[in-house]
Amino acid sequence: MNTAVRKERTDAAAVLVRRPGPRELHPVRTHRRRRALELSLAVAVPLVLVLLWQLAAAQAWIDDRVYPAPSTILADGWDRAAAGDLWPDVRATLKRVLAGYAIGTLAGYALGLLMGSLSLVRAALEPLLDALYVVPKLALLPIFLNMFGLGEGPQVALVAATVFFFVWISTMSAVMAIPSGYRDAGQVFGASPWQMFRHVLLPASLPAVLVGARIAAGVAVLVIVASEQIAAANGLGHLIFDSRALFQNDVMFVGIVCVAVLGVVFSELVRILGRLLTPWAPRDRGRGQS
Amino acid sequence: MGEPHPKLETTDLSRTFGRGSAAVDALGPLDLTVAPGEFVCIVGPSGCGKSTLLRIAGGLLRPSTGELAIRTSSPRPAAMIFQDYGIYDWKTVLANVRFGLDIQRVPRREANARARDWLARMGLADFASAYPATLSGGMRQRVAIARALAVEPEILLMDEPFAALDAQLRTILQDELLDLTQTTRTTTLFITHSLEEAIVLGDRVLVMSARPGRIIAERRPPFPRPRSGDVRSAPEFTTLKSELWELLRPEAVPA
Repeated sequence: MNTAVRKERTDAAAVLVRRPGPRELHPVRTHRRRRALELSLAVAVPLVLVLLWQLAAAQAWIDDRVYPAPSTILADGWDRAAAGDLWPDVRATLKRVLAGYAIGTLAGYALGLLMGSLSLVRAALEPLLDALYVVPKLALLPIFLNMFGLGEGPQVALVAATVFFFVWISTMSAVMAIPSGYRDAGQVFGASPWQMFRHVLLPASLPAVLVGARIAAGVAVLVIVASEQIAAANGLGHLIFDSRALFQNDVMFVGIVCVAVLGVVFSELVRILGRLLTPWAPRDRGRGQS
Repeated sequence: MGEPHPKLETTDLSRTFGRGSAAVDALGPLDLTVAPGEFVCIVGPSGCGKSTLLRIAGGLLRPSTGELAIRTSSPRPAAMIFQDYGIYDWKTVLANVRFGLDIQRVPRREANARARDWLARMGLADFASAYPATLSGGMRQRVAIARALAVEPEILLMDEPFAALDAQLRTILQDELLDLTQTTRTTTLFITHSLEEAIVLGDRVLVMSARPGRIIAERRPPFPRPRSGDVRSAPEFTTLKSELWELLRPEAVPA
């Protein structure tokens, strides 16, 4: 019987065959190659762009007084870091971001939870907050300057206000999206409001809240840099714009790189924290899956 | 075997998921022959690789070893019907049924005519311009069946198509499917958890083992074609059902 089948199979035109592909025949090798390719692409693309920039500066295709070569920026950054000139600005920015982020997250979470659970509170506050949401937060800086005077107050308030809206919206929609079956089960057992929060609402809404918190982390850095250039005597935003005014373009780029690194580290930290807090949630496939 | 040219044939077919120490053998090795026009039902415990077999046949997955051959000249000879219908919420009932024909670039006029013909056969003619969200579960599954049959597939792959329906509706749709397949004589692989469904519909019922799925038994329901849903009350039906259950029970018990 087997031989007959073999013979039939020779007229290949009339037979469609599903066979193992390379991924099935050599699963480990194919996976390893795929990972290697992904990793080298992730490294190579930025590297090539930086090298191109370096080349352009070295060949004088671009004016290296306006766009200093990456090697100049790196050397300058290293010197400033070693001399201790960089840290006061980094520390100032970091303090403002962290303080504002903590305040904004807590307030946004509390209000989002309240508005998600109680429809009367939602009816009272939602139109007002929606209106405030669309106001560019930077436009509020003058108000915060009037309220808190010069110093740390307005900067922290601005970050807090920005973060607040992201966390508030994601919390409120997450709480409202909790399937009613989850609440019903708790209610039948006679859960108190605190027990309901602790066992159902908090864990059920947490994954969506953390997505909002992670977006807010990036935006917090963005906002602080913008506000520091307007109303601060130190910080990375101040450094960037101050050095531009003094034609120290290499210092300006050092500031920009520091801001980028700060933003990446901050939002990654929030992501890792979120993963630890919600071991049941599906991993986000966005980037850097591990 | 009596059939000189099997429509579908697997040799030493198996599938493993994952790599290294996390690898899970889901299916096989499996040797299976399906004759042209045959209706084969496959029953087995959850996670025994039934769906994996179907996905390999449909070209959604590749096997880890062995091969699956389909005697056909078409590159896409199969149509698949899924448990959750797989019909599109954003297309009307008519457009859903026409979908396979649109993909095959059948001219619009002819495609519409064929789709309407199938809607009429499934009793859905009045709902041609409705959206699926407004339909009941049974009607959605009828749309899915019409969509699959409208392309006149050489092989019909059905993955627990009635699992999400209530018991009465299941019976009704089983009878409808029996009528349909006895007129079209499409070669069909039908996966189900329900022994009753398998006996009513199948020319042959294959029982699969727990993971990794292999065929541990094969029975031919002793009811000649064309048959109707009345076979459910035959004494042989009950006997075969309990026989199959005895075969399946040790596999279905969680290890």
